[in-house]
Amino acid sequence: MTSSATPNAIPTATSPLDARAPGNARVRRVAGALPIAGQYLMSIAVSLALCALLVEVTGGSPGKVLSALLDGSVRSPGSWGLTLSTAAPLLVVAAGTIVAAKAGLSNIGQEGQLLLGCAAAAFIGTRADLPAPLVITLSFLGAMVLSGLWAGLAALMKFTRKVPEVMSTLLLGFVAAQITTFGLTKKWLLLATKNTSRVNNGEQLPDRAKMPTFTLFGNQVSWGVVIALVVTIVISFVLGRTTIGFRLRMLGLNSRTARRAGVSAAVVGGGALIASGAAAGLAGGLWMTGGSAGDRFTSNVSSNIGWQGLLVALLARDRASLAIPMAFVFAALRTGSSFLAATGVDRRITDVVQAMLVLALLVPPAIAAVQRRRRGTEGAS
Amino acid sequence: MTIASDGVAASAATPSVLLSGITKRYGPVVACDGVDLALHPGRIHGVLGENGAGKSTLMKILIGLIQPDEGSIAVNGDAVRISDPVAASNLGIAMVHQHYSLVEPLTVWENVVLGERARLNREQACTRVAALSDRYGLGVDPLARVSELTAGQRQRVEIIKCLRREPRIIVFDEPTSVLTPAESEHLFSVLRVVVVDEGRTVALVSHKLDEILHATDEITIMRGGRVVGRSRTSEATASSLAQAVVGRPVSLRSEAAALGLIETVAATITDGEAPDDKPQRVATAAPVVLEVRNATVLDVDGHALLDDFSITVRAGEIVGLAGVEGNGQRALADMLSSLVDLRSGEVLVDGAVVDLGRPGALRRCGIGIIPEDRHDSGCVLDLSVAENLVLTDLHAVSGHGLLDRRLIDRRAAELMLAFEIQARSSAAPMRSLSGGNQQRVVLARELSARPKVLIAAQPTRGLDVGAIEYMSARLRAAAESGMGILLISTELEEVLTLSHRICVIHAGRIVGEMSHRDADLERLGLLIGGVAA
Repeated sequence: MTSSATPNAIPTATSPLDARAPGNARVRRVAGALPIAGQYLMSIAVSLALCALLVEVTGGSPGKVLSALLDGSVRSPGSWGLTLSTAAPLLVVAAGTIVAAKAGLSNIGQEGQLLLGCAAAAFIGTRADLPAPLVITLSFLGAMVLSGLWAGLAALMKFTRKVPEVMSTLLLGFVAAQITTFGLTKKWLLLATKNTSRVNNGEQLPDRAKMPTFTLFGNQVSWGVVIALVVTIVISFVLGRTTIGFRLRMLGLNSRTARRAGVSAAVVGGGALIASGAAAGLAGGLWMTGGSAGDRFTSNVSSNIGWQGLLVALLARDRASLAIPMAFVFAALRTGSSFLAATGVDRRITDVVQAMLVLALLVPPAIAAVQRRRRGTEGAS
Repeated sequence: MTIASDGVAASAATPSVLLSGITKRYGPVVACDGVDLALHPGRIHGVLGENGAGKSTLMKILIGLIQPDEGSIAVNGDAVRISDPVAASNLGIAMVHQHYSLVEPLTVWENVVLGERARLNREQACTRVAALSDRYGLGVDPLARVSELTAGQRQRVEIIKCLRREPRIIVFDEPTSVLTPAESEHLFSVLRVVVVDEGRTVALVSHKLDEILHATDEITIMRGGRVVGRSRTSEATASSLAQAVVGRPVSLRSEAAALGLIETVAATITDGEAPDDKPQRVATAAPVVLEVRNATVLDVDGHALLDDFSITVRAGEIVGLAGVEGNGQRALADMLSSLVDLRSGEVLVDGAVVDLGRPGALRRCGIGIIPEDRHDSGCVLDLSVAENLVLTDLHAVSGHGLLDRRLIDRRAAELMLAFEIQARSSAAPMRSLSGGNQQRVVLARELSARPKVLIAAQPTRGLDVGAIEYMSARLRAAAESGMGILLISTELEEVLTLSHRICVIHAGRIVGEMSHRDADLERLGLLIGGVAA
C-alpha cells in the first residue's frame, strides 16, 4: 500500500551530502532507510540491555533468563506450537485494531470486548448440544456478535453524541468486566452448575467446544492459527484492494474530503469500530476454545490478551504484515515466561520486557517526527 | 543588534545582506542555482518570480530554515553562517511568513510574547504592543482575541511579533495574498516608515507585479531558480517585468490579470476592442443549473455565516462572487460540499431540491467543487496522485467492490497528460506535489466528472502566473461546454476577467449584482467594502 505514512517515507536524504549524491529517489530512499533500521536495532538493544540489568540487580542471571525464555517459547519440544496457538488471538485483536485505526478511530477497549467474546463462546460452547464444528462456529459467531455490538455502543455514542471513542471503548471495557462477573453469579448465565471452587467459575467446556489442533513437526498447533492468518489476510486485502477499504482509509486520512466524496463517517467509521470489536470477540472465542486459557470461563480469563493485541497493532504501526511477526514475539514472551520459575526470576519480568520493547520501538518514529519538525517545510517553493 | 547598526553607520554602500552564489538542490530539482542578491539598508528590495522560481527557498536560507549546498552569506560585510532561525534572529534578520503562526484562542499580546522565556508581564507586554502599534500606525488592540481578527489584522500582529525584536533586516513573504487592496496599501505605507525613517532593510517577496512596482526601490527577478533580471523600480515597466518573470512576451489577458495589471483589465471593461476575448453574454434563456434559495448557515455560536443568501447560476455562465475574505464564502463552499447543514433555505440543482444532509449528496447530483483549501477538503495528502484522481468516483474504477488498479493507473495517466500534472509518477503521494500540481489534480478530478455546476473557490490562490493562466483557460472552456461555474474569489481582477455576471457578498448576503458589461470598478469597490451603492 502506498497509503500509510511510515517512518521510511519521511524524507531522510535532505542533508546536503545526501542531496548531492547521484542516483534516483529509490536509491536514496534505501540509503535513507538504513539509519532508521539502525535506530530500531539500537533502541531494541538498549531496552534489552536495561532488562538484563534489571535481572542482574535483582539477583538473577540474564543469560539463564534468556535461555529459559527461548526454551519455553520455541526450543523445548512442542513449545513453538503452543506459541503459535497463543499468537493467534493476539493477531486477530491486532488486525481488528488496525481496521479501526485506518478509519481514524482509536479502539482501546479490546480487553473488555475480548472478555465478552470469551463469555459468549463459553456460554454457547457449554450449552449447544450439536456436532463439534457447528458448536465452534456458533460460539465464534456469538462471540463476534456480542463484542461487535459492544463496540457498536461506542460507535453509537460517537456518531450521535460525539463521545470520543477512546473514552467510551476504554470505559465500556470495565463495564464488560462487571457484566461477566455478574454472569458468574448466575447459573443460567455463566456459573457452573456444580461449582466446587471458592470463587465463581464457569462450566467446564466439553470437548466438542474446543478448537481442534493439527500436528506440525511434532508440535500441536491450533487451527486458530489458520483462522487468524486468514482473518489478517482478508482484512489486509479489504483495506487495500476494495472500495469499502478505500473509503475507510479516506475517512481516516481526511474526513472532510471523504464526506464530500460521499463517505458517511457514521456508517463507515461505525462499521470499522464494530468490525474491530467483532475481531476482538473472535479472538476471545479463539482464546477460550484454544486450551491455553484453561478449560472454563473465569473472571480473569482474558489475562491481557486484548491489551497485548492492542500493543501488537501499535508496534506494527497499523500494518497487517508487521502484525504477524509482532504477534509471534508477544506470544513467545507469554509462553516463554512459564519456564522462568526455574531461574528464580519472577515471571512478570516478561511484562517489563514487553513494556521496554514497546518503548524501544516507539523511539525511532519519535526521532523522525522531531527531525521532520526541525526541518520545517519540505521541498523547494 | 549592535552588528547591524554598526553596518548601517559604516556605509550605505555596504549591503546589509549579501548572498553570493547560493545553490540549493533537492535531488534532481535545483531550487536555487547560483543566486546573488544584495539588500541595502533604507531600501525595499522586491524579489519577484512565479511560484517555484526559488524565491521562498532563498528567503528560507536567509533566515536559517534551510541550509544552502553552496554559496556564502555576508551580513554587513561579515561572512556568517546562519544555521537556524535563532542564529538569524541574533543577526537581526526576521521574516513575516505568508502563513501566519498565531494561536487563535489567545489574545494578541499573548501571541506576541509566546515563546519568550522571561516571566510574563501582562501590563508590560500590552504597553509594548500598543507602543509598536502606535509607532507604525498598525491599529492593533493588544487585548483582542486573534480568532476575531481579520486576515489583515492578523498580519499586523505577525508584523508586531517580528518588529518587537527590532530586526534590522525584515523579509515579507507574499504579504498581500490574503489582504484587501486597502489593507495592502496600508501595509506598504508601514513598510515605508520602517525603511525610510528607521533605516531598516526590507525584502518583499511577491509574484504580483503591481505591488512590486508600487512598493519597492529595486527589484530582483527570479525564474527557475536563477536570477534573470535586476532593475531599479523607477526604470522598470510592468511589461518588461512581466516578460522577465514568464520568460516570454505576455499577451493573454488572464496572464496580465494574474500579474496584477489592473489597468489592463479595467481597460477591457470600458473599451470595446478584442470582443472575442471578452466573456460573452449568456442567453438569459439558458436553464438555471444551480439555485441557492434563502440559505442561512450558522456557526457554532449561532452567528450567521450565510444570511438569507440566494444566487443562481445558469448553464454556460460564469458567475463571479466577489467579496472580502471572511464574508461567508467559506460557508457557501462548505455548504455546497455537503460539509455543513443549512439552518434554513434550500439548494436546487437542475430545478430539483437536493437533500443536503447526506454525505456527497451534492456531488452525486452534479456539483463539482474546487475548494478554497484543497488540503482541507479537496484531496487526501497521504494517498497517491492516482487515488486522489478517482476518489470521488470509485464506481468507475471498480467492479464487484474491488478496485481495479490497472484502470485507476490508466485513468490517472490520461488525466495527468490531459491536465499537464507534473509528478514523479501516478503512485507518488499527493503530499510530494507542488501546490500548483495539487490544484491541477483537484481540477482534473472535478472536471472529468463532467459536473453540471463547478464551484471554484479561490481557484488561483497561491498559484503562479502560468498556473493561473491555465486555470482561467480551463474555467472558460468548461463554461463554453455548457457547465455553470460559480467563481468565488477575493481577487477582484479575477472576477472581472472571467465572469459573465458578478455578485458581491458581504456579511453573508448578496449586496449587489451586475452584468459584466455594466461592471463599474468604483461601485464594485463600494459594495465589497459593505457600503450600499
